[in-house]
Amino acid sequence: MKLVMGLKDAFNSKVKPVRELDAERLVDRFAELRLQPLGELEARDRTKVCGEVKRMTIKPRSGIPSMEIVINDGTGEATVIFSGRRHVAGIEHGHCIIVEGVAFADTNRLVFLNPKYSLLPTGKD
Amino acid sequence: MATNTQNSSRLKRFFIGAPIATSEDSHQRLSKKVALPVFASDAISSTAYATQEILIVFLSLAAVGTAAYSRLVPISLMVIGLLVIVVFSYRQTIFAYPTGGGSYVVSRENLGKYPSLVAGGSMLTDYILTVAVSVSGGVAAIISAFSHLAPYRVHMAVGFVLLITLANLRGLKESGSLFAPPTYLYIICLFGLIIYGLFRVFVQDLGPIPHTEPFENELLSGTNSVTLFFFLKAFSSGAVALTGVEAVADGVPAFKKSESKNASRVLIWMAAILGSSFFGLSVLAQHIKPLADEEGEISQTVLAQMAEHVYGGRNIFFFITQFATFGILILAANTAYADFPRLSSIIAKDNYMPRQFMNRGDRLVFSNGVIFLGLAAISLIVVFSGQVTLLIPLYAVGVFTGFTLSQTGMAVRNYKLKDSGWIFKTIVSGFGATTTAFVAGIVVVVKFTDGAWIPAAVIPTLVLSFNAVNRHYTRVRSYLQPTDGYVAPFRTHTVVVLVGSVNQGVLKAVRYAESLRPDRLLALSVIENSDDRQRLQEQWDKFGLSIELDTIVSEYRDLTEPILNRINQIDDLDSDDLITVIIPEFVTSIRSQWLHNQSALAIKARLLFRPNTVVTSVPIVIP
Repeated sequence: MKLVMGLKDAFNSKVKPVRELDAERLVDRFAELRLQPLGELEARDRTKVCGEVKRMTIKPRSGIPSMEIVINDGTGEATVIFSGRRHVAGIEHGHCIIVEGVAFADTNRLVFLNPKYSLLPTGKD
Repeated sequence: MATNTQNSSRLKRFFIGAPIATSEDSHQRLSKKVALPVFASDAISSTAYATQEILIVFLSLAAVGTAAYSRLVPISLMVIGLLVIVVFSYRQTIFAYPTGGGSYVVSRENLGKYPSLVAGGSMLTDYILTVAVSVSGGVAAIISAFSHLAPYRVHMAVGFVLLITLANLRGLKESGSLFAPPTYLYIICLFGLIIYGLFRVFVQDLGPIPHTEPFENELLSGTNSVTLFFFLKAFSSGAVALTGVEAVADGVPAFKKSESKNASRVLIWMAAILGSSFFGLSVLAQHIKPLADEEGEISQTVLAQMAEHVYGGRNIFFFITQFATFGILILAANTAYADFPRLSSIIAKDNYMPRQFMNRGDRLVFSNGVIFLGLAAISLIVVFSGQVTLLIPLYAVGVFTGFTLSQTGMAVRNYKLKDSGWIFKTIVSGFGATTTAFVAGIVVVVKFTDGAWIPAAVIPTLVLSFNAVNRHYTRVRSYLQPTDGYVAPFRTHTVVVLVGSVNQGVLKAVRYAESLRPDRLLALSVIENSDDRQRLQEQWDKFGLSIELDTIVSEYRDLTEPILNRINQIDDLDSDDLITVIIPEFVTSIRSQWLHNQSALAIKARLLFRPNTVVTSVPIVIP
């Protein structure tokens, strides 16, 4: 039984789920910036965070569009909403951005509304 | 699409035949003359190999040499004694259970759950072995007549099992016209051989078969004394002659009125034929000394050797005997095809076997049981290379366990009911049960290493799995059972449309999704890079789609995982959410369908096991 558990542990440490691999990749990438990790982000604190754009949602909400993105730095996620816009220059999938502002809690996520942002150079450039 | 299903069902109809309406199901009632071949073929056919198996134990395993022949008659008398006991006990069962009293039913009614499961498992393994042993025996009879077919033993056996399976899928009824001729022909051949053989031995002084080959002499030159172990081993080989005796008791409802009386007559006839022919063959074999060995180097069966010797060569009588033997053995295999599906359907009805065994096919037979039996028998034949001798040790355990439980059940029943003469009846059944239990024990002990361990392991495993199946069904039922006043909970509804690119299918799917009027509606697309997203967004706007569009980039080129992650996230937002995932799918012809929807298939397969998730395909039929 102990042997089986040992093998299982060895297997799990060798064969990680893709989600963990991706998290490790992002942590490595943002380590030198020394910003607030998203995993430790609290609502209503002025903060500076960064992350890779993981998801983009374009919402045509009753004529007033908004663009919602989710950034991830490997430790956690945050949502950034740009209201009244359908695209924001430089923000695309796979790009990395730094966000400065105050997050508020919405159900079980942290949201920055129209924050100050800056782009990090992409790997390709 | 429609034409495709029609074609495949036509192909099926070519093999299986036109479907029969449920209301057309008719039960043929059998007269005694017809019932005898139908129910007795299994039991009587075992005379074709029982004597041979006794000889193999003595000559090949125990190496007792010619001393073997003097033990044949005592053993056959013991087997006949056992037969008488079992038959008397089954006579009672026939009268007590006019609706059919197989071991499973009798032990379920009288002994309870576990004994009945053991009986069921034993009988099921036994039916599988009946097919394997009988077909192998039948092929052996053919090879005895045409020895150059010997290399194709397994091929032939497998071929015959497939043929019988197909015939039974077509709904081969236990029809007398099919069963009667071969069975009666075999009985005539058998008694002809015995009577003419004994006449030649005692009146014309026919000597033993001359044996000249070196390995034949080696077999005969054994000088070991007959130990109790090998005597019991030989006896347990001979006891396989009793397999199939239970068939009459199982099938009482198939008899003409009055069923029980007719059935018990047939049972007695069968026992008389079986007992006398087995005894006669033993006496004949004692005098003309046929040979048999374990490896099957002697390609002729004992029966064939005796027929050749008695009839003075390979003449018409010899060939008729071989064909009759083959015929009855195939019929014996066929009886298992009636019994196995029926028993498995009864067990399935009691929720101990998968429900599929209850399904009746186009021809009103329990198709899944038939197919399962065929496959199981084929694998046994292949594993044991179609050698009857290797299969025999597996055979007897199940039969005698079944006998024991059925008779114990009868003893308990008689004791409880206390009808007139119950003391005598209880004693008969109890004695029968004790004897058959003893024989079952002997078989397991003396043949354990020869293969008796297989049923000794398989039957308990079957019982455990019956139990597991039952637990599952019970759990599911109790989970689904609504309590009084149960009202299905209200759930908010989120609809997610999976989108690849904007096409007609997607437009239709979005329109369909909107018609559901969900609480939340969004489109979800997994893209490869940001260019894709911009293109998709342009198209989205161009066609005036007004629902929110989620895009996720798949960093690792996987489609399923990101979608599932996103659905999990959406689900987390509301605790009692119902999520409908809408997948637009193209439906083309069966020839080109595989070019599409492989990823849709994978996503569907994963979502199937997700709670509170509905998956809807919006089909776009492309003619």
